[in-house]
Amino acid sequence: MARRDLWPRVEPLLARVERPARYLNHEWGCADPVAEGDTAFCMIYPDTYELGQANQAVRILVNAVNAAAGMGAERAFLPAVDMADLMREEGVPLFSLESCRPVADFDVVGITLPHELAATNVLETLDLAGIPLRTAERAEDDPIVLAGGPCAYNPEPYAPFFDVILVGEGEEQLPETVALIRDLRASGASRAEILREIARKVGGAYVPSLYRWRDESEAQKAGSWVEPLFEDVPAVVHKRVFEGFAESSALEPMIVPYTEVVHDRLNVEILRGCARGCRFCQAGMMYRPVRERSADNIVAAVREGLAVTGYDEVSLTSLSSTDHSQIAEILTRVNADCAGLGVRISVPSQRLDSFGVEMAELVAGQKKGGLTFAPEAGTQRLRDVINKNVTEDDLFSAIDAAFAAGWRRCKLYFMVGLPTETDDDIKGIASLAQRAYDRAKAAVPADQRGSIRMSVSCAVFVPKAQTPFQWDGQISPEETLRRVGLLKRSVKYKAVDVHYHDPKTSFVEAVMSRGGREVADWVEEAWRRGARFDAWTELFNEGAWTGAAEALGISPAEIAQAEYGTDYVLPWAHITAAVSPKFLARERERAASGITTPDCTFENCAACGACPTLGMDIELQKLREAKDGGEPAKNPYRAILGSEANVEEGAML
Amino acid sequence: MADPRLFRLRVTFRETGRLAMLSHLELARALERAVRRAGLPYAVSQGFSPHMRIAFGAALPVGVGGTAEFFDLFLTDYVAAPKALAALQEASPADLYPVEARYIEHKDPAASVACPVSTYEVVFSEAPVSVVVPEEITVVRKKKEKTLAVADFLVGPVELDGATVRFTLAAKPTGSLRADAFARELVAATVAAGCAPATLHPTSFMRVEQREA
Ligand code: SF4
Repeated sequence: MARRDLWPRVEPLLARVERPARYLNHEWGCADPVAEGDTAFCMIYPDTYELGQANQAVRILVNAVNAAAGMGAERAFLPAVDMADLMREEGVPLFSLESCRPVADFDVVGITLPHELAATNVLETLDLAGIPLRTAERAEDDPIVLAGGPCAYNPEPYAPFFDVILVGEGEEQLPETVALIRDLRASGASRAEILREIARKVGGAYVPSLYRWRDESEAQKAGSWVEPLFEDVPAVVHKRVFEGFAESSALEPMIVPYTEVVHDRLNVEILRGCARGCRFCQAGMMYRPVRERSADNIVAAVREGLAVTGYDEVSLTSLSSTDHSQIAEILTRVNADCAGLGVRISVPSQRLDSFGVEMAELVAGQKKGGLTFAPEAGTQRLRDVINKNVTEDDLFSAIDAAFAAGWRRCKLYFMVGLPTETDDDIKGIASLAQRAYDRAKAAVPADQRGSIRMSVSCAVFVPKAQTPFQWDGQISPEETLRRVGLLKRSVKYKAVDVHYHDPKTSFVEAVMSRGGREVADWVEEAWRRGARFDAWTELFNEGAWTGAAEALGISPAEIAQAEYGTDYVLPWAHITAAVSPKFLARERERAASGITTPDCTFENCAACGACPTLGMDIELQKLREAKDGGEPAKNPYRAILGSEANVEEGAML
Repeated sequence: MADPRLFRLRVTFRETGRLAMLSHLELARALERAVRRAGLPYAVSQGFSPHMRIAFGAALPVGVGGTAEFFDLFLTDYVAAPKALAALQEASPADLYPVEARYIEHKDPAASVACPVSTYEVVFSEAPVSVVVPEEITVVRKKKEKTLAVADFLVGPVELDGATVRFTLAAKPTGSLRADAFARELVAATVAAGCAPATLHPTSFMRVEQREA
């Protein structure tokens, strides 16, 4: 088929829309269009350029496909509402950036599912591309449509829309899948044959159309909601892990956008995974085992990355970068490299202690904006339930250090509606924030106390698949508002302000997070009724979602709020992040008794099952120092990669 | 503020093709990044959030490109101008391409006001029989309508050569007439007078010269 170039039809539209730079391509570092004859993959982020171009998965996966032989990747993003409407009016379909050709002309299309509020945007994307919404409706020459990303851990609400859902890390899995499609297409295989082969051969590939969906009682008896239609299709899909992560270069090809995007900076991924073990956190379960890249690798990537991109900011990314065993060395070296260049350095951190503040101080320079801490719960009892291994003293010593070092603003993150939460826990949030304010005041000279700001930010607890709290329900939106009201009344200080997340969107998140295959109809109906860009507060269309539920006669509240025992088989039981269901159930029981579980990167193995199941180890550059400064506990699954540290670990074993 | 220890390099560049769609802010950021990639010894301001010492010329409307755009870059060390230019070219995309670099004096006017007179060239979709220049143009500024007399801003005649129209506008300290607004009204008046079909539209719009008053 001759390539269709849509640019002559796109260009005239650009004068009529906001931020035309979203649609231009031609950024510094952008790749060439896919070469003629190569299998063409289109990587799509189902939201606008500003969000998608900054996304790590998009960058990694485009690079991975471009690095493989015989295939190439281009990018596409969902146009903003003004452009999407104009394109429909003018009959212009969704296009890729690099060659500006219709997305429907690609051999393979991949949509990442970054969060639970992207579902209607997936349909908007497919519709704008002119690709049939459901796998069952697609013809032989339609692209094979893949999904991946965090939501793949409960794929069922998306199941009918995708030909293949890839679970886990995609660095190797995606090029493997594209290569298989290429080879099978070349040999004349049919679409059905291709999908079957992917399910058989690609680790972590889930092909929903090859499974029959069971009803509840059958599922509970069988131990799974899906039944493979063929013997050679896996009954349980295990996530893939990129085993070479720690040794791979932290420097990746990078595109430098023209228009301002979120996280518009050089992002260097310094470690993957977090084993702190917060019981509500999906990321903490998804990316096990923890793997660190070396200080030399990271420092070189920052130096080279800044030089080739021209960025004036670098972020050392991961779920909790201050946990890296070499973080002090890394920051000191990066700081020295950046001296006098006007380059800002940022380090996301989950660490709530004075060490975390010390690290933040290392890179903050003179400009100390705000610091963010996430105690998540207001009382020690509830923090023990959720396994947030943080005490009031930890928080207060962090506050002391931060305000003494010159910070004047602090944001405290909490969750409302956590399992076992009572009104005392809500009042505890107010009390904790006010006492934190008192500590801050004591740490600041009297004449500067007026500038102290402490803000409390509350999200609604969303139960996530593959976590110890997956069996717990979400509280109703009305109950959320009552608890937030109680919190607001309990805060007496004027300098402490309270913000909270809209419970209506969190409700949709919970349904998407916990629902089964039946939820897909709800998503489609809501989209038909006008829901799209649900994550954009001002565009969230509540009426479309409630109207869709009524029309279909389903009760989303039941899905979001149902409480189950740990023996209940959940709709994602056929997907595993390698953390065993037994571990999740045990963690849920320990939560009920308020017993905490330590972080296995500092302490002994907590027997989550990830390492033995995957045949891997935690990979650290050197031993992480235990919090009390003492000798770290032994862990049979801990490998030390750094050269000096090898000696230490050898001696210890 | 002029710091006599710094070197003031004026860089002229072209903004062409798709990149004419960049906003002034997007353009500024892109140029700063090119300077960083070029590895030039740029000066950094003092204070809480240090940033590059760079000053941009008068902004172009979105959709209008330029062949003689410029910015002033303050350097802490002297780099021979041709060498600085070569480094910038190496670090720039083809549609945002530096074409000249020269050192200027600290006392020279700031980049944003140095060249208030701009000449534009618009290539239209077809050749009008003649162009009709409106006498007045109503623009909306800060939600208020304001009527501008074209003669206050237009310098010399509007020239027509086939499908290409050339005109020169001067910015006044009290305000200016945007080139895209002028072109839009020019098209409207020309079409209304029957000198061109209603489909008349620009296919290319460039600022081709900037000079002192
Ligand atoms: S198996 Fe043990 S060491 Fe490995 S991630 Fe799980 S708890 Fe940590």
